[in-house]
Amino acid sequence: MAAQGRTMGVLDRLLRNGPDGSTIFAGGLLIFLAVIVGAPAAMVALMSLRTGFPGEGGPLTLINFIRVYTDLSTYNVLLNTLLFATGTVVVALIFTVPLVWLLMRTDLPFKRTIYVLLTLGILIPVFLRTIAWILLLSPRIGLVNQWASQIFGLDHPLVSLYNLPGMAFIQGVSFVPGAFFMLAAAYRTMDPALEEAAYTAGVSKLRTFFWINIPITLPAIAAVMVYLFMTAIAVFEVPAIIGLPARILVLSSLIYTSTNPPTGLPEYGVAGAYGGVMLLAGLVLAYFYVRLVRQGKKYTVITGRGYRPREIALGRWKWPAMAFVMLYLSMEVFIPFLVLLWTSLLPYLQLPSAAALSSISLKNYRTIPDYTGALPFINTAILMVAVPFCAMLLSVLVSWVVIRSQVSFRGILDTVAFLPHAMPSILLAVGLGYLGLAYRNIFPFYGTIVIIIIAHTINWIAYGTRTTNSVMIQVHRELEEAGKVAGVSTPRVFLRIVLPLVAAGVFNSGIWISMLSYREVTMALTLYSRKNTVISTVVWQFWGSGWVPEVSALGVILVIFAVIVVGALRIGFSRVGEVGSSV
Amino acid sequence: MIRIKGLHKFYRTRHGLVEALRGIDLEVEEREFFVLLGASGCGKTTTLRCVAGLEKPDAGEIEISGKVVSSPGKGLNIPTEKRDIGMVFQSYAIWPHMSVFQNVAFPLIKGRKQVPKHLVSEKVSRALSLVKLDGLEERPATDLSGGQQQRVAMARAVVTEPKILLMDEPLSNLDARLREEMRLELKKITRSVGVTTLYVTHDQAEALSLGDRVCVMHEGEIVQIGTPQDVYARPANLFAAQFVGEMNFIRGKVTGPGQVDSPLGRLRCPVPPACQTGSEVTLAIRPEHLILLHHPSQGSEALEGKIASKNYLGDTSLFEVEVNGTALSVKLPGDSDFAVGQQIVVVVAPDRWRVYL
Repeated sequence: MAAQGRTMGVLDRLLRNGPDGSTIFAGGLLIFLAVIVGAPAAMVALMSLRTGFPGEGGPLTLINFIRVYTDLSTYNVLLNTLLFATGTVVVALIFTVPLVWLLMRTDLPFKRTIYVLLTLGILIPVFLRTIAWILLLSPRIGLVNQWASQIFGLDHPLVSLYNLPGMAFIQGVSFVPGAFFMLAAAYRTMDPALEEAAYTAGVSKLRTFFWINIPITLPAIAAVMVYLFMTAIAVFEVPAIIGLPARILVLSSLIYTSTNPPTGLPEYGVAGAYGGVMLLAGLVLAYFYVRLVRQGKKYTVITGRGYRPREIALGRWKWPAMAFVMLYLSMEVFIPFLVLLWTSLLPYLQLPSAAALSSISLKNYRTIPDYTGALPFINTAILMVAVPFCAMLLSVLVSWVVIRSQVSFRGILDTVAFLPHAMPSILLAVGLGYLGLAYRNIFPFYGTIVIIIIAHTINWIAYGTRTTNSVMIQVHRELEEAGKVAGVSTPRVFLRIVLPLVAAGVFNSGIWISMLSYREVTMALTLYSRKNTVISTVVWQFWGSGWVPEVSALGVILVIFAVIVVGALRIGFSRVGEVGSSV
Repeated sequence: MIRIKGLHKFYRTRHGLVEALRGIDLEVEEREFFVLLGASGCGKTTTLRCVAGLEKPDAGEIEISGKVVSSPGKGLNIPTEKRDIGMVFQSYAIWPHMSVFQNVAFPLIKGRKQVPKHLVSEKVSRALSLVKLDGLEERPATDLSGGQQQRVAMARAVVTEPKILLMDEPLSNLDARLREEMRLELKKITRSVGVTTLYVTHDQAEALSLGDRVCVMHEGEIVQIGTPQDVYARPANLFAAQFVGEMNFIRGKVTGPGQVDSPLGRLRCPVPPACQTGSEVTLAIRPEHLILLHHPSQGSEALEGKIASKNYLGDTSLFEVEVNGTALSVKLPGDSDFAVGQQIVVVVAPDRWRVYL
């Protein structure tokens, strides 16, 4: 009776007044978001059920799944993917956990510099780092192997990168900065008194670390592990650059070669059948990730205390610890950059020698515009402005509904905005590409820069809304209510009160998205055409053509530009740690 | 027993070196409940954390039960886990991944004073019944209320029967009613365990009701050490007078032995020998030591005034009385029948005045 009465009451009110403005707005936003996030996934599903070219139509069929999953080599690929992802997570954690502890809890010197270098590590594209390591460790042309055969007269290569451990190693090293900032954020919210309570109970430092620190941070570490695993089964750059020449296929490289085969016709149906597994795995892992994060929150107690926990004095362990950090930073930043710089100054890849030194020149830099023209630079600039603008605009609107409004379905909106985290970027791009090919008349963006802007925007809306959510929570609700009480309309309150208060935070994460878009290659490459080429795809093509010195020169320019941006941010905001956090 | 001698501590901040402790000397007797009282930033928590070994002092010496635990001069600093202490934190610091039992048992299983397995559960249940948490052993720590967490923290701190117990504002996160209840219980528990207690608080009511002795601190220095009665009745200086309890302050000038001229008129009061005739002083008197009468009576020193405002609080009434243009606050029983605007007489016993330079 009561429930019925309440339902009637709600209906009555709706009929009399109609839904209010914010509900209509939130509903529209939800539909829009569901369409742009859902469309690529729907396209992947659709292509898996069709044969032939996009747009050819024809009946739906399961033939692609049958073909793919009765083929034994598919299981080989799945095993490779699993091994690669596991190895990557292990490598990443081996470096991340000690780094977090050293930087958050001890008196390690040069912390600020290390932070900056870690931030920079995120901005150096993974494919550039991979290329640099190939230049160093490739069995044939690699500098280390050249040197080894010169010195020891070895007739076989000393080390080679072209295997699963090599791939996992490079990918794992690249994941460290992102994992670091995720874990550091979790560590920061831990009450230091939990540790101190153990000391005062007479428990030694080592035992405290194992029985208190580790168990309490375990949910956070597990969440990071799941997140990294989810990302690792979908990454493309390392599997393409190292895996393809070595014939070590994983899901992402298989999907790419199915839609962009070097010879023959693209097979979207097969790509869809592989993509289905990847998408499912992504969704399941994302679900576990969210649950683990929630569980971890139960453990965090933020005290109102101003004091910082006492830093553990490293004493004579200071220099070994520093050596560990330097080892990591060398692999992440220094060695790749020096290799690229050295190679970019020479006519061809060679060991340092008097002859090599005498042939150093800036010729490779000067000739770059002759090969590329202005288009890639213009397109990249367009991306760097348009992507953050679209992503942040959507994020702010979504967060405002999620955090501020009383709309009943705000939780659903938040979930939809988070979903792109689970969507592998290669699938996102393949799905969008299929949409552009099959439904040209309603989505006429195939081969244009617009389709890359859309792909990037969808991809980073999850990151964008996470940051705008946390920024928006900090703006007290009463500030808005005071505006409404003063008789100001809701849209004006948003424009004049909310927006100015969140502007700095939104700007920060906008810049960060701009830099991520700048270094992105997977989606840009999958959606590549002659018209929408960007700098990262140019580097990729140079590499494919074997233009090693030109690749290096362009790579050095890419890195230096990233350094300039990070430097400017540090000087301009001195809040770069915040920019880099929660990626 | 705790003995602190000449304790100094510096902090490096963005604005340079800050001296948090400027030479602290104090002694806490065996089984004494000793309270450090002061505003935030006065150095009371730093002192406590130095005793715990969670902060390293820069100079001075700390002794626990006759054993030196910290002496930067001799390069000696025994780590926290090797000191015979128990500690209750402001945030309780209950380990969230353990049950109530595991929290209390942890010091016995992994700590300095490990006990045989069969004794652990016996000791834990004794500690839990001491804080009246019997039957909650298996409850996850995250499912406890603030008051219960507080009790677990107490049990965990005393389960190893440490020689000294350190408490850092343990009641400040509880709501007012629960705080008073816990205050009484805290005193009972520490008394029944018979442990030497060093207790930090910024709440003067807590300090006065709990402490055997109270130490008032200000800007890294000790202002006064004494029994609660001492500290309340005879504040050592102007700061202690301002900080502990309510006071009326009146500026004045010494005109002779035991005589001060003030806006209220010429007053008889106990002028300390250090004050010479002509020196500027501040007179202080507690609101409850002022008496209001309807009419002047013979023989007593009386000031004529007018009731400016009345603030009824149930058990007491606070009056603001104007005497010669100076406002005085007077505390009387709740049912006192003075009305705003009424002409009255204020009576003071001369020995109630405190005089500060």
